[in-house]
Amino acid sequence: MSGPELFALLPVLILAGGSIVWLMLGAFGLGYRTIVIGGVFSAATVALCAGLLPPATVEVTGLFGTGSYARFFTILWALAAALTLLLSLRYGANRHFGGGEYTALTLLAATGMALLSGATSLVGVFLGLELLSLAFYVLIAFNRDSAHSAEACIKYLVLGSVATAFLAFGIALIYAASGSFHLPEALAGVVSNGALHPLGLFGWLLVTVAVGFKTSLVPFHFWTPDVYQGAPAPVSGFLAAGSKGAVLAALVPLLAGFGPDWALLHPLVVGLTALTLIVGSLCALAQTNLKRMLAYSSIVQVGYLFIGFLAGNSGGFEAVVFYLVVYAVVTLGTFGVITSLSGSRAEVQDYDSLRGVGFRHPFRAATLTILLLSLAGIPATAGFIAKFGIFRAAIKGDFIGLTLLAVIASLVSLYYYLRPVLVMFTENNAEGNTLHPGNELEHAVLGVCLLATLLLGLYPGPLLDLIHGLF
Amino acid sequence: MTVPFGHVLILAALLFAIGLGSVLARRTLIMILIGVEIMVSAAVLVLVAASAFWQQLDSQLFVLFLLTTTAAEVAIALALVVTLRRRTGTTDADAFSELRG
Repeated sequence: MSGPELFALLPVLILAGGSIVWLMLGAFGLGYRTIVIGGVFSAATVALCAGLLPPATVEVTGLFGTGSYARFFTILWALAAALTLLLSLRYGANRHFGGGEYTALTLLAATGMALLSGATSLVGVFLGLELLSLAFYVLIAFNRDSAHSAEACIKYLVLGSVATAFLAFGIALIYAASGSFHLPEALAGVVSNGALHPLGLFGWLLVTVAVGFKTSLVPFHFWTPDVYQGAPAPVSGFLAAGSKGAVLAALVPLLAGFGPDWALLHPLVVGLTALTLIVGSLCALAQTNLKRMLAYSSIVQVGYLFIGFLAGNSGGFEAVVFYLVVYAVVTLGTFGVITSLSGSRAEVQDYDSLRGVGFRHPFRAATLTILLLSLAGIPATAGFIAKFGIFRAAIKGDFIGLTLLAVIASLVSLYYYLRPVLVMFTENNAEGNTLHPGNELEHAVLGVCLLATLLLGLYPGPLLDLIHGLF
Repeated sequence: MTVPFGHVLILAALLFAIGLGSVLARRTLIMILIGVEIMVSAAVLVLVAASAFWQQLDSQLFVLFLLTTTAAEVAIALALVVTLRRRTGTTDADAFSELRG
């Protein structure tokens, strides 16, 4: 690896290096608070570096891109890690998390996301995905006192390692068919005369299974609600925003590279997307647990995103990137509210325990309400612009049926997003006030998420232009 | 004499199916993990054979990455199995069903 290449990779190197440094300092007995705040600073440094230092090369060792697209997502995931760490400050201290390990794993997961989003080769995709999955396996089980945490982890781990095996076998078959791991060659190698090489087709099917698992596409979604419910709330938020987002971000250049041949896989993906929208919506309706409802809602959101992928060549890819940014902000915020309301023992999960929150903690209740409305796609919030972009691309790309289904799913989603809101604002029970008042820091972080949601909803122009420049 | 590429692919497909079968049929966590290892070996076999087929070394390099990450994954999995065994006294996958709905 040459000097310019190392310099181009500098933000990711700082992330990975920071993770090791904080792990060591934790082993030498530095306190939880100090290390977590240090981790926030190193993540913020990474975002600054990635934004300010122009990369010297656009690709490093044929594995990872360092162009503006990769840099954009490096900034996004570094900031997501910083927000996650800030939100975990009190939550983790109450539960006696090890500061060094927690910070190191969060930064390592962000490293994996940054590498995965910028991967230009199948090996890069595999390594990025493994790095972030391995970090998340431990993070999900981080609360050692909770049986749910361990159960969530074993479910994610067993299914995740099967998905890894599918991915590895799929990549091996694609390599056997095309003779290259590098994406443009690997994509060109499996298509000949407008038809897929049988080995290549089988390879892509296996990769689709792995991607479907990681992004919780129906029918590979069974782990999602259990894992989101069992994992510590800040980790669930980071998992939903980042792990899913990074895989989808890696898919954008991959599918864009397919060009018109991407249409060969359309029938399969259309079926999976429709199934995802229907099953996700129906399951979300029945939930009375906020984290499980958010899990099913995230399944539906992935359905919308895949519509964007299908309509990729008519502006869908840009819409997907915008959607990913919005989804990351909103998801971190929603799980942030759960984190902030949770006391030192149990988490706030059931709708019953949300009763009267709107009267006692109006700021956080209002934040949660606006974030949920953004997930539903109500105008004046970022979610509306994001969804609008996807639907517009879908109609341009002639996916009328799917768009109609997605609009119906959005209408249905209002019901399950408004249910917790109604509980918060209509029923006031004076007794059983066990919710944590939260501290200024948490309120400030939630304020940032809220502000970003409203700002992107009312004035999305600059970000849309920025994303347009990435392609 | 070299083994034809097609034969290697058939063997790998069989290995992958055996591994997947073990994951789906066995209920002990350890056996499930062994099943996953067999599935990964199928990928390794294809990669090594493809390296000979294309006369390139990069897929052999990927094998090294693959084995390293799988080892890390198994390390985490076994640590978790030990924790769960201490907590519940079993390594039966069906015993972990508190989260549902």
